[in-house]
Amino acid sequence: MFDHGQPSYADVNKDVLSTMLETGPRYWMLLGTTISIAVICFFMPWLYQLFVGIGAAGMNRNAVWGTYISNFIFWIGLSHSGTLLSAVLHITNSHWRKSIYRSAEAMTLFSLMTAALFIMVHVGRVWFVHWTFPIPNPMGLWPNFRSPLMFDVMAITTYLTASSIFIYMGSVPDFAAVRDASTGLRRRLYTIFSFGWRGTAREWHTLGWAYTFFAVFVIPLAVSVHSIVSWDFALSIVPGLHHTIFAPYFVCGAIYSGTAGIVTVMYCLRKFLGFEKYIGQVHLDNLGKLLITLSLIWSYINILELFSTWFGGTSFEIEALKFRLTGFYAPLYWEMITFCAFVPLLMLWKKFRLSWNKMLVISILINIGMLTERCIMVATSLPRKFLPDAFGFYLPSWVEISITVGSFAIFATLFLIFIKWVPAVSIYEVKETLKPLRRDS
Amino acid sequence: MAIVATFAYEEDFIAAAKDLKSSGFDDISLLSPLPLEEAQEVLGLEKSPVRHFSLAGAIIGAAFGFAMCVATALVFILPTGGRAIIALPSYLVITYEMTILLGVLFTLFGFHIVSGLPAWHDKPYLESANIDRFVVVVDSTDGERTARAEAIIRGAGAEEITHMEVE
Repeated sequence: MFDHGQPSYADVNKDVLSTMLETGPRYWMLLGTTISIAVICFFMPWLYQLFVGIGAAGMNRNAVWGTYISNFIFWIGLSHSGTLLSAVLHITNSHWRKSIYRSAEAMTLFSLMTAALFIMVHVGRVWFVHWTFPIPNPMGLWPNFRSPLMFDVMAITTYLTASSIFIYMGSVPDFAAVRDASTGLRRRLYTIFSFGWRGTAREWHTLGWAYTFFAVFVIPLAVSVHSIVSWDFALSIVPGLHHTIFAPYFVCGAIYSGTAGIVTVMYCLRKFLGFEKYIGQVHLDNLGKLLITLSLIWSYINILELFSTWFGGTSFEIEALKFRLTGFYAPLYWEMITFCAFVPLLMLWKKFRLSWNKMLVISILINIGMLTERCIMVATSLPRKFLPDAFGFYLPSWVEISITVGSFAIFATLFLIFIKWVPAVSIYEVKETLKPLRRDS
Repeated sequence: MAIVATFAYEEDFIAAAKDLKSSGFDDISLLSPLPLEEAQEVLGLEKSPVRHFSLAGAIIGAAFGFAMCVATALVFILPTGGRAIIALPSYLVITYEMTILLGVLFTLFGFHIVSGLPAWHDKPYLESANIDRFVVVVDSTDGERTARAEAIIRGAGAEEITHMEVE
């Protein structure tokens, strides 16, 4: 599992904690850059939109949803990375996950936060967003729980809460390690964060059980979250969206883009935090195999969607399909197919799967393809429903494009803050993968 | 007073814990930098009561989720598209989410109750137990018992033995 020989327990503490406790000028420059991009590209255009109204976005009477919703789905999709690597692989006892799952969980949390921000941007009058929660109000009104949008609110709130608890509880023993290695205010803070953890057998035993239960709760939750997001579309009768396959299609796409996102993040962790010792070829190889499998499932569902539409023969559905395959957005559709169905096949060759640079490029292309998928899903269906004289058109405005770019900076900023507050590689779980030191060795 | 013994090797640490338990020392704590199943077995830790909290949370969450949907629909009746006022298929989704939400929150609560955390008061602890050392803590005020425990620990290959005051 370790490309550069097995480290000792003390090495693991030292290597991981040094990434938190030692901060160079490069980190501050990077953080400053991402914060600046987030402010200029995301928050300032949002403020502009709040002043002039939602008309600043490219949405119109026909296209009531635009790139804000596409981005929302994209970021929710990325969030499935943590659930897959952390929870599923924990339940199946896959040891290779141990050095990469913490960052995957962080991706989950920060992707969800970014996705939630897009809902705030999309609703326009963000100051009324609390109306979506079932809290008593002077008007005596309650949310309509029959609406898929309310399913969304409940699912995402639950997912955000559960993911936060999941990552926090898994980090408690490592917070204790940070506490022991630091002084002053930091030590006092981490004493609180670690709840006074000592590492007794009873504490480990209880954490193990609780963590397994968190995993068991989080897996069906993640599946439900993206199924529910798909029902925002599929429960409508809009041609191109009203498909029963949408729930598994969304869940598969989410795990697919999340896993590709993990490869990108792992590359950065190796490159910028020096985790070469802990994130090695075995991780890349396994992630590559996982990506190929997911790519094939994703391609199969796409073919199935085309076939069922053609076989169904409904004129509205056929029209929507024709527009998607040959209309204005067709180049984007074929770009998506190339990036998500064909490019990943390169990973069938081991030399691609074991090269960090090649895998970085493939993972980025997959996520470009997945973002495109969500954009064309919205742009080719809602504006063109049933009657041709009511057909509209949607093109994102500069505000929407800028906010999309800014969202990546927000995610990067949150991640950069995370690596200085939480050990990005789980110290105690990496120790579990090491061979114990024996008296006779 | 507590005897705090440090071990460099996992096997010695487990051997010491087993010997202490078999010699009647029930009040021992085993500190390690990673979870060790053998240490948990020595202390007789099997199924954790945390699971009861998870189950209770899930059941309460399901009941609460469904009741919330029904109650809010009945407080303000809003007929839409000929759909039932109490629409079971839709409400099952909310019920499902609330099952998980309360299940997770109760598991968290259960973790704190069962593990005794947060515990910020002083208990015998060595920072090396969170790095690469295995530590056995024996609570003992009796001179004869202390000597016996120290003999067992030393025999198992302890690296260092110290004494700490216990609150």
